Amino acid sequence: MPSSDSEDFESADEGRSSPNKRERKKRLSSSNYSDNLESEQDNKKLEPVINKEASSIKENLPKDGWDDFDIEEESLPNNEPQKEETKASIVKPESSAAKKESQTSGWDDFDDWGNDNDNDIKEQPQKTKPQAQNIQEAPSSQQTSTKSDGWGWGWGVDSLLSTATAGISNLTTQVSQGISTVLETGIGAPDPEELARISAKNDTKPNSAEEKMISAETNHEQSNQSSATEGAFPFGSLLSGVTKFVETTGTKVIAGGLDTLETIGKKTMEVLQDGDPGLAKKRAMLGLDSGDKPVLSQVLREARAKADEEDQLREAKREAKAVHYETLFDDYEGLVHLEALEMLSKQVTIRIEERLRTDPDKRQDIKETLQQVAELCEMPDEEDEEEEEEVSEGASKGDALHERLQRATRDIGLKLQFQPLIKQYTEILTWLETDDPSITEKAVYKKAVSSLAQTTALCVELYHKTGEMLLVKSRRSTADEADALTQLTVVLTKHISDLATQFTEKLTSHATEDKDQVNNYITNVFLEAGNSSKYIENAFQLAIPIVQIGAV
Amino acid sequence: MTSGPYNYSYIFKYIIIGDMGVGKSCLLHQFTEKKFMADCPHTIGVEFGTRIIEVAGQKIKLQIWDTAGQERFRAVTRSYYRGAAGALMVYDITRRSTYNHLSSWLTDTRNLTNPSTVIFLIGNKSDLDGQRDVTYEEAKQFADENGLMFVEASAKTGQNVEEAFLETAKKIYQSIQDGRLDLNAAESGVQHKPASPGRPLAAPPAARDPCAC
Repeated sequence: MPSSDSEDFESADEGRSSPNKRERKKRLSSSNYSDNLESEQDNKKLEPVINKEASSIKENLPKDGWDDFDIEEESLPNNEPQKEETKASIVKPESSAAKKESQTSGWDDFDDWGNDNDNDIKEQPQKTKPQAQNIQEAPSSQQTSTKSDGWGWGWGVDSLLSTATAGISNLTTQVSQGISTVLETGIGAPDPEELARISAKNDTKPNSAEEKMISAETNHEQSNQSSATEGAFPFGSLLSGVTKFVETTGTKVIAGGLDTLETIGKKTMEVLQDGDPGLAKKRAMLGLDSGDKPVLSQVLREARAKADEEDQLREAKREAKAVHYETLFDDYEGLVHLEALEMLSKQVTIRIEERLRTDPDKRQDIKETLQQVAELCEMPDEEDEEEEEEVSEGASKGDALHERLQRATRDIGLKLQFQPLIKQYTEILTWLETDDPSITEKAVYKKAVSSLAQTTALCVELYHKTGEMLLVKSRRSTADEADALTQLTVVLTKHISDLATQFTEKLTSHATEDKDQVNNYITNVFLEAGNSSKYIENAFQLAIPIVQIGAV
Repeated sequence: MTSGPYNYSYIFKYIIIGDMGVGKSCLLHQFTEKKFMADCPHTIGVEFGTRIIEVAGQKIKLQIWDTAGQERFRAVTRSYYRGAAGALMVYDITRRSTYNHLSSWLTDTRNLTNPSTVIFLIGNKSDLDGQRDVTYEEAKQFADENGLMFVEASAKTGQNVEEAFLETAKKIYQSIQDGRLDLNAAESGVQHKPASPGRPLAAPPAARDPCAC
């Protein structure tokens, strides 16, 4: 079964380069890339291109944010040699080959991943063997994919494939376990914010980095176990996938730095997290990676550009919609009164329901009463309320409104404060009557929307206050209250539509060239008036349980 | 009034509670208007005040619910505690009865708000030191025993009024930073408003709350 190819390589590696390398590694712990080079040349006598490549890589290092890893390196060397030894003694062929592989592929920075996991490797040497065999089924696909990668690192591809595929199995175990170590220790784990952003970009939605790490870890373990029992094929493919992934991203790591490491960590987590043992899915996912997937920095740059764009858009919108009804309504405290009324209404509803539950004998009665009150609160059809305008002759519009409001609520048994509403209406009327030609149609429109928002806020406040007072009223008269509130709603919605009409008349009377714009404004005024009526009716509906509870 | 609708990153809901006549509305007025309101009418149910403050460079809108102190409104005002991030519990240092009722107000607050709600005890009318009926030490001890923040303040002179409101906000903000206060919880009393311009790489801001009804 074992294809001789890889066996040869392993033994060759062991004999030749391993010990030297360890030596060298100690010497050159801070310049791993030149180390790579030497070993490359030892083995392959590569073209001088490498030197250029490598030096450029080195130059890239500092600005790519690799300093973190240097620190990692430096803090670890004490552990490394002895670990290496244990590893070498126990899983000799694999580890040395792996070592070689990792160095030739420029991965030695991550040796500590694997080294930390030496124990794991010891525990499952049998496991790694079959994987090694399986992995050899993959090299052809790896070759193509690596080449199509288009990184243009000719030396890397060739030398990697010839020397590396042999050691892949070992690398695979090392790396795949190493990755889980990374996940555990959190070396490469992007912070949650970063993650969230990337994943938003990827249209996946991780709950949190921690969760992800944990599940990735467990999944990894699961997949390890399941593949060990299920037979080697699926696991082998997974590994080949991972290996390919590691290989292709290896180069990216060098070029892209820490950002790319985050991507790897993230992608790997996704891969490991995905419990589906089916290889197709994994291949597809990894395929994404080997292709033209942009690096994280690119993603971030795009995200930023997008955010800027949105900012500008929002700014533009704000300019255009300098008059924002909802904002104005909020500013005039309409929203918070509505919220308070809602809380009150909910509280009362709970009390009514409690009463229904605790008093089963009277349940039917109570239900009927509730129904009756609800019927009393039904809004009359607009038509049959045909204007009984018997407002005193000569009264101002403001006084007329006051009279209507008082007539509507005369039986409610409360002293309601209509003054703010009347005062505001009077101010609006004064504004409308001033004939200042310098007022633009836009100014009229602004005033219209803000007046509607303010009036609506005052109306909602009126319902809220009425509700509060009804609840502390000593003697309730439900029918009267229901009727009064219904009448009040009729008067208030009428008031709103009056306002809208007056403002649109003002707009129409404006001599202007831009008829379209004026029509636009008029439409919007009526739209906001409709909005206002909705708020008012909403407040009225919220007040109904408060009336109802007086009867049960 | 309408300048920049979203020039703040958070909204904190405060509730002011305490016996009738201890100066709740006056404290609010002093805080929002920086003026003393000499003859303040009885509050009906609840009234509101807002002010935008800054904590740790973040603009925060305080949405303050000023409740009626009258006993008859007690049932109504109890409906309003829910979702308060901060509770300012006020007594009058010149009237011991208002101090004696604190435990009842505290019970309501604990029962009707979240564990993370910051409770700040204010001994109002500190300008009337000559008529003092409750010592600072006594109140301080009560506050410490119950884990409350505490100052004596004067709505008339403005002494310590800012401090009380701002310290509460700082504590709430700290809770958010520590993760003790979950912004996503329905009743945290804190709303996060996106689109603060200082965070260029923040996730795309969510659309404005679509609930317009």
